[in-house]
Amino acid sequence: MDERSDKELAWASQQEDRTAYAVLVQRHYKPVFLVSLGVLGNIHDAEDAAQDAMIKGFECVRQLRDGSQFGGWIVAIARNLSINLLRKRKTAAKAPALDVPSEPEKTEPSHEGLQQAVARLPLDLRLPLVMYYFDGQDVKTVAEKLAISTSGVYGKLRTAIKELHEVLTAQGDTP
Amino acid sequence: MNRPCPEMQDKVADYVLGALDSEQTEALEKHLGGCEACRQYAQSLQHEAQSLVALGRRLDADMEARRDRVIEALQDMSPVQTETRRLFPPVGGFLRMSIAAVLVLGAGVMIGRATAPRPVDVEQLRADLQASVVAALKPAVQESVLTEVDRRLESGLAANEASLRSELAEQLRGDLQLFATQFTTGSDRRMDKRFAEFAQLIEGARLKDRQQVARALDRMEQSRARDKAQFGMGLQSVAALTAKATPAIQH
Repeated sequence: MDERSDKELAWASQQEDRTAYAVLVQRHYKPVFLVSLGVLGNIHDAEDAAQDAMIKGFECVRQLRDGSQFGGWIVAIARNLSINLLRKRKTAAKAPALDVPSEPEKTEPSHEGLQQAVARLPLDLRLPLVMYYFDGQDVKTVAEKLAISTSGVYGKLRTAIKELHEVLTAQGDTP
Repeated sequence: MNRPCPEMQDKVADYVLGALDSEQTEALEKHLGGCEACRQYAQSLQHEAQSLVALGRRLDADMEARRDRVIEALQDMSPVQTETRRLFPPVGGFLRMSIAAVLVLGAGVMIGRATAPRPVDVEQLRADLQASVVAALKPAVQESVLTEVDRRLESGLAANEASLRSELAEQLRGDLQLFATQFTTGSDRRMDKRFAEFAQLIEGARLKDRQQVARALDRMEQSRARDKAQFGMGLQSVAALTAKATPAIQH
């Protein structure tokens, strides 16, 4: 395991050291992927967006003045790329595809059905939901990352799980 | 399934999120014990929350494979791919700083050449400087003007015109010192004249005072002489009257 700090790795990456950048990818891929998933609501799109973000990060790493800030910087890139992708997708097709075959009499929602339901949530609800449940971040951390209050995060999570239940009920994906 | 109580839905969601305190939790659980619809609603939300966590774990399990694919994609990228997407060629920190410094210096030289007052109009410069000297306060005259000369010479003349610069500076310094001396001398003369006028005024006032005092003393002396004469005449009258009255008494 590479013991170098993010700052050292970022500096080495600025000198075209791909091995150093690969270590940064290993360290920061998960939040990058999850923020993409939170914005896009689709695993495949999120994978593509996360990969694009990492490649863009490598291309632009020289613009990063403080290498110790790499984590926040690369997540911001992923979030912006994902939002742009979401806008393009919304322009192309107004409503997300939801051709999910109903599976009656299920006691728990399927992962696919749950992903579909998460994808249908508005962005401002989906992002805190993904950060809280998928990434296991506590409410305080989510509040800090989204720059809102903890009560605001609780409010969004409360609305998100209620709406998620409505969507799953409509999909027939909940008991 | 019956609909849960509308006023309880937020509380049930908060319950699932663990956002209720012990008192609120107790009150809700009491309600859930007696309300089938709310109980089922709470169970559904709980299951969904657990499913979200499970989905998160599943995503996490696949994370390493996704990450490896990204790293592979990065390793597979040819240098040409990264070069073509980059605006500037790759340079190290020091080299980049050096290039930036050269560019900034070059721009500075170009701007300086475009804006520098060349060639220097000596007469105009002298006129300007004299005007500024006149406007300046007396103690600061020499210092400020010489500073101005140095500044103009620095900006107006290139380094390879050192001899001309030196000559011009010397000439201007001499002129300015002469001017400043004249200015100072003129000021001193005016000051002396003012002092002389002032002293003359004071002397005139003192003379006038002395004359007035002398006149007053004269008047006093005359008055005193007059009083003395009158007193003498009074004494003579008394003596005469006394002389007349004395024989009558003796008799």
